[in-house]
Amino acid sequence: MNIGQDIIGATTDVFSTMLMMDLVVGDPVDGAGGEVESNITAMLGLGGDIRGMLAVHCPAAVAMAITGGFLGMDVDELNEDVKDAIGEIANMVAGNLKIAFAGYDLKIELAIPTSIIGKSYRVGGMLGARRVAVPFTLEQGTFLVELKYIVNS
Amino acid sequence: MGNNVLLVDDSSTMRKIVGRSLRQAGIEFDNIFEAADGLQALEVLEKESVDIVLSDINMPNMDGIAFLREKANRANMKNIPVFMISTETGEDIIGEAKSLGAVGAIKKPFTPDMVNEVLGPFLK
Repeated sequence: MNIGQDIIGATTDVFSTMLMMDLVVGDPVDGAGGEVESNITAMLGLGGDIRGMLAVHCPAAVAMAITGGFLGMDVDELNEDVKDAIGEIANMVAGNLKIAFAGYDLKIELAIPTSIIGKSYRVGGMLGARRVAVPFTLEQGTFLVELKYIVNS
Repeated sequence: MGNNVLLVDDSSTMRKIVGRSLRQAGIEFDNIFEAADGLQALEVLEKESVDIVLSDINMPNMDGIAFLREKANRANMKNIPVFMISTETGEDIIGEAKSLGAVGAIKKPFTPDMVNEVLGPFLK
């Protein structure tokens, strides 16, 4: 399993197909570290043969640029459209990861994404989970796609 | 004469993206109706004349599969074609959708060309 590469493939596919944005891909982090300063996080639960969570952490400027790209207009505040758009990024990345995990003979199910906006928050939990995170950079800044999971025995 | 399209997705952003993709694909339409889940979609279909439905699968309240099941039981709407537009690509869930009357599926992420390729033959 090369989860870091799977996250890279899943994320770049979403950005090249839906947003026509090129991403500068950072090195995958396996374990702790690699956090970025974020103002919005979209999370999505994973079930089935694994239990876990996919999260997309974005600074405000990146989240607004992604939303503007989706909607074809300038976006200058963190509003419901931005929460919705980053939630959809998480949803589509998770959908691509579902296909990647099927290649490892692991069937996963996706929950509905949830987004939070804030200035200072921390997403924790999932003791004993493997964590793989990949930073991606756009002109407006760097965002992080983070996967935490445990394969059910 | 264009088409009346119903977009069903709990994400308002995704509904806007799909609407934009239809326009970019050069698909003409008279009206785009929107619904945030299967329950709202059924309400729209009861009131409006709709030629084609594009529906997500994973939604709160009533998901895309339950929507298809309920729609199939209503004589006034059972023949309106539905395309699933979703991150779900598994043969099991897409197969279930097709067994309930869905005529095709578009995988998210998608381009306007992909939308046109799938929907084009079904639109006026």
